[in-house]
Amino acid sequence: MNEELNIGPHISRQFDAELDEIRSRVLKMGSLVETQLIKTLDALREDDGSGIKGVSKLDRKVNKLEVQIDEECTQILAMRQPAAGDLRMIIATSKSVRDLERAGDEAERVANMVKQALTNEMQRKLYKGLLGLGELVAQLLKSTLDAYARMDIPGALQNMRLDQDIDEEYSRLVIRQVELMKKNPDNVADSLDVLWAARSMERIGDHCINICENIIYLVSGDDVRHAKFKDIEEQYAGGGY
Amino acid sequence: MNKSLEINTDARRKASLDKRNAAEKRFRWYGRVAIGFGIACLVFLFVDIISKGIGAFNQTYIAMQVTFDEQELGLTPQSSEAEIRAASFESFLKASLREAYPDVTERRAKRQLYSIVSSDTSFMLRDMVLATPSLMGTTQTVNMIADDDVDMYYKYSFGRDLSEGEEIGRLSKLQKEIVAELYDLERIGTRFNSTFFTNSDSRDPESAGIYGAALGSFFMLVVTLVLSFPIAIAAAIYLEEFAPKNKITDFIEVNINNLAAVPSVIFGLLGLAVFINFFGMPRSVPLVGGLVLTLMTLPTIIISSRAAIKSVPPSIREAALGMGASKVQTVIHHVLPLAMPGMLTGTIIGMARALGETAPLLMIGMVAFIVEPPVGIMDSATALPVQIFLWLDSPERAFVEKTSAAIMVLLAFLIFMNSFAVWLRKRLERRW
Amino acid sequence: MNKEIESSVSVDKSEQSVSAEFVADSYTTVGEPLLDDPKISIRNGNVFYAEKQAIFDVNLDIGKQQVISMIGPSGCGKSTFIRCLNRMNDTIDICRVEGEFRMDGEDIHDSKLDVVELRARVGMVFQKPNPFPKSIYENVAYGARIHGLTDNRVQLDELVEQSLIRCGLWNEVKDRLDEPGTGLSGGQQQRLCIARAIAVDPQVILMDEPCSALDPIATATIEELINELSESFTICIVTHSMQQAARVSTRTAYFHLGKLIEVNDTAKVFTNPEHQLTEEYITGRIG
Repeated sequence: MNEELNIGPHISRQFDAELDEIRSRVLKMGSLVETQLIKTLDALREDDGSGIKGVSKLDRKVNKLEVQIDEECTQILAMRQPAAGDLRMIIATSKSVRDLERAGDEAERVANMVKQALTNEMQRKLYKGLLGLGELVAQLLKSTLDAYARMDIPGALQNMRLDQDIDEEYSRLVIRQVELMKKNPDNVADSLDVLWAARSMERIGDHCINICENIIYLVSGDDVRHAKFKDIEEQYAGGGY
Repeated sequence: MNKSLEINTDARRKASLDKRNAAEKRFRWYGRVAIGFGIACLVFLFVDIISKGIGAFNQTYIAMQVTFDEQELGLTPQSSEAEIRAASFESFLKASLREAYPDVTERRAKRQLYSIVSSDTSFMLRDMVLATPSLMGTTQTVNMIADDDVDMYYKYSFGRDLSEGEEIGRLSKLQKEIVAELYDLERIGTRFNSTFFTNSDSRDPESAGIYGAALGSFFMLVVTLVLSFPIAIAAAIYLEEFAPKNKITDFIEVNINNLAAVPSVIFGLLGLAVFINFFGMPRSVPLVGGLVLTLMTLPTIIISSRAAIKSVPPSIREAALGMGASKVQTVIHHVLPLAMPGMLTGTIIGMARALGETAPLLMIGMVAFIVEPPVGIMDSATALPVQIFLWLDSPERAFVEKTSAAIMVLLAFLIFMNSFAVWLRKRLERRW
Repeated sequence: MNKEIESSVSVDKSEQSVSAEFVADSYTTVGEPLLDDPKISIRNGNVFYAEKQAIFDVNLDIGKQQVISMIGPSGCGKSTFIRCLNRMNDTIDICRVEGEFRMDGEDIHDSKLDVVELRARVGMVFQKPNPFPKSIYENVAYGARIHGLTDNRVQLDELVEQSLIRCGLWNEVKDRLDEPGTGLSGGQQQRLCIARAIAVDPQVILMDEPCSALDPIATATIEELINELSESFTICIVTHSMQQAARVSTRTAYFHLGKLIEVNDTAKVFTNPEHQLTEEYITGRIG
């Protein structure tokens, strides 16, 4: 199974330490993005915009981490010339970090919109509709990070399934907002804002799925991008990777 | 400072370093002393031999007026060679000596007078006449080789203030007076002793030389070289390159190593039993000597040739085999040229050993007294070291000198051969 | 109940790891060891040194004009293996080779096949550059001389020049062909050895760690040369440098303790090896 990546330490313990360092930094970065999202959702749920202030700061941290991790990946590529699993780990991590950073940007955007919305009763009500989607996305982000930490293909597949739920939730939300817009043409601007925020959250989910695809590549060596989910699921149903 | 062990490592290291340095210095001195001892022994040997033997390269001559009187010799200018040979040059020489010293009349005194010149002088006079019959009837000043006792006396005692016991040469008072008189007349003197290099052995020290022995040694070495070099190299190549490694080859290897350590006299016994008694070859000939020395040098040359072949890097063999060269091509094209310097060095050192060998030659009868120099490998001959051995045994004082001189010649040959080996190795050992 | 399941799972795991580390006696090479229309094909190749088995049941095809690299930890038998292909193992008394080794369908180990002829068709380049202690010219001409490839000096000159040109050595040595080959630099010596090998026009060239004694620049030159030669020769290269295997070869074979563990396209082996042992070796976990 995924033991393939737990196959004992390198002869160079320094190399192991470097890889561990990168991995833990990625998880730290992921948890920062997660915090961004959770703070936003908490604020929305409790009608309290005070927590949101820290989100931009968190995003700056996330950006910094992205640069750091990329640099470390480059160094390992140059100095260790990793092959096979190690190579895939570095490549996948480097890509995942990019996705995480984008997710962080989206989270910040949502946070700013929520901050804006909390000042307005009408908008606040509209934004409450985002909570369900937001929680699903937060859950996806968390389990994506778990899957990354454990290099876990079943977890990644689970996440892909979850993303389908998110997509469904997102379409429902879109339909609802469209109906609202039809009913209340005065609120079209607000509804559009909500749609934008929902769109950002859905984008976070997509980035998570990219990360999951990277995890699958990292573990199995198969590139599953642009493949149909059904095929992927079938391929890994028996654990035959 | 090693904290966990509470040891001051720096101080200890320094202390042990001093000890090690002292030990190293001590060891260097052991080596120097050993080498110094070796050099001292060598210098002593050389000084001793040279101081004893250098005199033999000079020979005392006495210039005498001789009138080749036809009547006294009983010859005419038309006499044939056979007649000249039959003539009594000895009585003629005696007469000439008597003429030069008319005062000597007593029988004993006359005998003493005759023996101031070498007993070979009469033959020398005959040879002179034979060479140029026109000498007949003329008076010539002839440089005659002095008798060995005169030679000794003149070279070592004459004109020196020596006490009675130290005097060298068994000369009578009369003879000493004659030497003194000759000296005053400037008719006695020394010159380079070519006789030593052109004559063979003789009972008389003044006419004994090393020519025959050197020739004997030469023929023997030729036989040894011609036999042992190809045999040894063929054996070494086969054992190193072709023979399977098994119990038989191991056994052969052990035996070759043992043979190299067998005392040479054993080979002499073997030669006596096999070549002379079994095959019925003649005694005292260089052929048998060469065969015995071949047996003796074979193990040495085989061992050094094998070492030379072993030292050829295997990568060269691999390269050749990888190119598709056959085993024989590999050996002939690549291994042999690289191993040749080592093989030749081993061979020359083996030859040098053979040249210096005495014991096995004694066993096969090369110790005989042989006056005629050999002309081939089937002629009776003796060898340089055996000649030394023979002379060492002779009672005459003059032979001591000859012995040392012969040793010097032998050493010179050995040094030459070894230097040649070194030069050859340097020359062939092209470091590619 | 839960505990039981856990323990049985852990037993399972340990068994699995044992079987992964000590490859079972009967094993199958993973990847694609076999090809259509191979130059050389080996079936059930076994090599013994006296009683000790060095190569176990190797099945492998080597394609025409292909560079295949053999990698694996020291003592895994990769050198021994390629030495079977030109019967260099014949020179070792205690070495015994079993199985089918065929080149163009012809049995390499057939006693009727002359080994001299085989080695003319399967050239070899060794770990340490080993030019003959002769002139550069003689080094290249040697093979042609012993195999009688040329009729006269003009042809021989031409052959030597062509071989040296192909190895990129001509411009460096054309003015000193009569100087000793051992006077060249390490990289030049190795190229000289390659020139010497290709001068007899072999079909296959075996290279046993050809760059292990060379500096990186000389190594790069040799690797480039291998790339160029691969157009006309089948090349088997044993290397300790995985990067080198990755750079020069189209297929890579991984040996472990005398067993051929995996054969795959080089790109596949270095990004996503199929066998755990291969992965462990190329990521620097065993060696």
